Amino acid sequence: MAREQSIKVTVNGRTYEKTVPVRLSLADFLRDHLHLTGTHIGCEHGVCGACTIMLNGRTARSCLTLAVQADDAKVITIEGLRAEDGTRHPMQQMFLENFALQCGYCTPGMLVTAIELLQDNPNPSELEVREALSGNICRCSGYQAIIDAVLEAAQQGNAAWTDWSTRSQER
Amino acid sequence: MSDARFSNRKIVGTSVIPDEAIPLVEGDGRFLNDIKLPGMYHVAFLRSQHAHAKLKSIDTENARKLTGVIKVLTGRELLGKVDPFRSMPNRFSGGESVQHWLAVEKVRFVGEAICAVVAEDRATAEDACDLINVGYDPLPVVTDPRLGEKDGAPLIHDTCTNNYLIKREYQRGDVDEKFKSADLVVKRRFKIGRKQALCLEGRGCVAGYRENTFTLTLWMSHQLPYVVRHYLARHLRMAETDIRVIIPHTGGGFGQKASIYPEEFVCAHLALTLRRPVKWVEDRVENMVASTHARDQYIELSLAANSDGRILALSSDVWVDVGAYSTYLWSAGMEPLQTAGLMPGPYRIDALRYCTRGVATNKTPTGPYRAVGRPSAACSLELLIDALARKLELDPAEVRMRNLIPNDAMPYRNANNLVHENVNYVPCLELAMAKASYQAQRAEQRAAPLNGKLRGVGVACFAELTGLGTSTAVGPGTLLQPGRDAVTVRLETTGVLTVAAALPSQGQRIMTAMRQIAADELGMKLEDITSISNDTATAPYGFGTFASRTAVLGSGATIKASRELRQRILTMAAFVLQEAVEQLTIVDSVVRTLDRSKTITLAAMAEKSFFSAKDIPQELNQGFEVTAFYDPKFGSFAAGAHVATVDVDPKTGLVEIVRYIAAEDVGTVINPAVVEGQIIGGIAQGVGEALLEELVYDENGQPRTVTLADYLVPSALEVPRIELHHANTPSAALGGFKGCGEGSIIGALSAIACAVSDALNLKGGDIYDFPASPERVLRGLGVIPSEPMD
Repeated sequence: MAREQSIKVTVNGRTYEKTVPVRLSLADFLRDHLHLTGTHIGCEHGVCGACTIMLNGRTARSCLTLAVQADDAKVITIEGLRAEDGTRHPMQQMFLENFALQCGYCTPGMLVTAIELLQDNPNPSELEVREALSGNICRCSGYQAIIDAVLEAAQQGNAAWTDWSTRSQER
Repeated sequence: MSDARFSNRKIVGTSVIPDEAIPLVEGDGRFLNDIKLPGMYHVAFLRSQHAHAKLKSIDTENARKLTGVIKVLTGRELLGKVDPFRSMPNRFSGGESVQHWLAVEKVRFVGEAICAVVAEDRATAEDACDLINVGYDPLPVVTDPRLGEKDGAPLIHDTCTNNYLIKREYQRGDVDEKFKSADLVVKRRFKIGRKQALCLEGRGCVAGYRENTFTLTLWMSHQLPYVVRHYLARHLRMAETDIRVIIPHTGGGFGQKASIYPEEFVCAHLALTLRRPVKWVEDRVENMVASTHARDQYIELSLAANSDGRILALSSDVWVDVGAYSTYLWSAGMEPLQTAGLMPGPYRIDALRYCTRGVATNKTPTGPYRAVGRPSAACSLELLIDALARKLELDPAEVRMRNLIPNDAMPYRNANNLVHENVNYVPCLELAMAKASYQAQRAEQRAAPLNGKLRGVGVACFAELTGLGTSTAVGPGTLLQPGRDAVTVRLETTGVLTVAAALPSQGQRIMTAMRQIAADELGMKLEDITSISNDTATAPYGFGTFASRTAVLGSGATIKASRELRQRILTMAAFVLQEAVEQLTIVDSVVRTLDRSKTITLAAMAEKSFFSAKDIPQELNQGFEVTAFYDPKFGSFAAGAHVATVDVDPKTGLVEIVRYIAAEDVGTVINPAVVEGQIIGGIAQGVGEALLEELVYDENGQPRTVTLADYLVPSALEVPRIELHHANTPSAALGGFKGCGEGSIIGALSAIACAVSDALNLKGGDIYDFPASPERVLRGLGVIPSEPMD
């Protein structure tokens, strides 16, 4: 098997063509090859959720995904959440206003997971939020502020979530 | 004057949204692993597979031949070039132990570094590690401190007899007499597993060679930049002025990043010898075996009491499995000395005796972790108080109330020689009980079991000594007395104030707090104040962030420096405005007369001071940069009382926390939302400590929990909603602040443990080993026979 392979992948609306080692993880590809260091690596075995990104519209662990698996895929990372004019995504704003991050290491994965939840379920209960985020470890906050941020984001709801998903896919 | 001075809105006490969180929420954080330097090599470590073995041979030839490998470094090559870590002298030390950065003759725990491989990329460095052939000659292992201290047990260090790295016996008051004359004596045993901080970001460093004017620049995921610089200089035999230490965004610390470890020092040596930058980032498996562990204690304790529930004397025997080495800087004394010494907590205990031991074993060294020693100290005592209450048929909260140090007895010197003052133990308990509807919960509990579950209620009180000044050692028995820190405030030429300190944040929003304090002291707008906190090249001297000290020491220094700067500004403004100093104040970053007739902005003042100095008499223009040190001298006690309610499933042994109330005294609060996050975050780690987290070793010293699939940390489903209340009282420190980063984990472990024990007691069971895993709960219910002591 070849040690390297060419891939074409769209990340945050921009398309990249790169030749990568076949053993390279998507997380390392994003961080080391595209310099998108907002995606964090916490365990490299798929448990902690820090590296969660959006892959073709669903969340995925970028540490368990090989870069070559993302060939022809659309990826969104934390760097792709802001609007083109730099405005924070509403979920980012809710996290900031609710003090939902301390060290900030889990935040990229939390944000993407929370956004996916509200796409699927715009009015989740507290338990549903807790279940949706239960695959993302936060060691600092005790989760409460994160849960509150997501619930408040849901309350503000409106069209922000659908807007975001279409816009980011096309950008 | 004071009225006018604070006429702008007080910013201390306000939940201002921290600017420092913005890059983190936007994906622009710069953590250690995000740093890349041109020409940077990557380092991987080959680690011991054996818990205890002689190193017969290390064959690195195949590794060296691999394309992309730059260097393979062994411990022998370091001999004579750098100084290994010798255990920090401690009054209670059992003997000196030496830790080589890379093992030389022996390995003493699985995960100990043997070789460092430098390669063009990390994957190649790891491939090369697989090509190194190490010949091990296995030695008998020690995995249990109570076996390890026996005569004839295998020795981890030849210099430490009975494997004691630490041993201390202490007595104060007539303990024997009180045990003899008391109405009753209650005994109990307590065990707490080995755990670790589990920072989501592991350790790591980038070591730069000749960056800017520094021979060595070390970017490091750490809590103590200046301490690292000092010890780098000593061990690498360099001048510390040739070294710069920078702390990037840090993904969790919790004490694990407050110790000094070999790996980063090896990287510094490699950068200097290869004359190239090198990077090492710990992966999770390394983190599980090579970053300090914590806890791992066995305690036997007993108390003597009167029939009214008053405790007369406390006696304890403590064994701590401290692992293979005396953790560098803090020594092996952290858990053993603090657990036994701080056991009386918030209670009046006039006679105290303990014997505590830190026994070396063939496991990863233990080091400081959130609330060092106190969780197990408090938890073992709280469980013992519950046992006392059961014997006397008194309510456990009532027994606590009768023993807490009441406010009208303060200042109160306890049998461990600590003075309690300015702290609300009784008010915290009263508040927690009221908010928990405690009596109603007890009545409900007695009424009927729900859905076949066993309902347990646990009450726990704790004291947390924070913000230690120079007269109280952070590392008991050691020479380390880091009770003093500096802050620099500087009015820049555009009128922006910079607050600089060597107090890195791992999410505590320390510099937001310092900005809030400076804003109030100087009368400035918060948005006109910026901060630097992570770089020895730009920050004044300080010890760093640990031991719930920063809010106290950093704030005190900020207040002192700001007051001096304010005086300098007003002195010069009096000349510029031709007014008396007493007629001037600063509001919203503008100097003005009290009658508002004349104003000048701080920006204009700063510009004049710097660019138009010739127009101002020198003695009136002393420069708008002030550094002040602050030493609170003593510590400040923070406190809390927690009430946890659990449902235990007697079929599965699963514990669910159904309600959690915390009442805390954290002194004057700087940023309430940040404080709330610290407290709730500590409780979450306490949930893990009480129910989930345990690092397991087998009898050969092999770690069984090296991934996050084996080592369970609480998720959003295990941590309940925390109902948090405050019974704050100001400390005696400048500003009235107390530390709040650690304390709540003490209450959480204790309250949850007491609640589980309470539930099991409904069926005549009990629990002594924590975390309270389903298996242990079922054991406690008699599914597997156990041997209760009381």
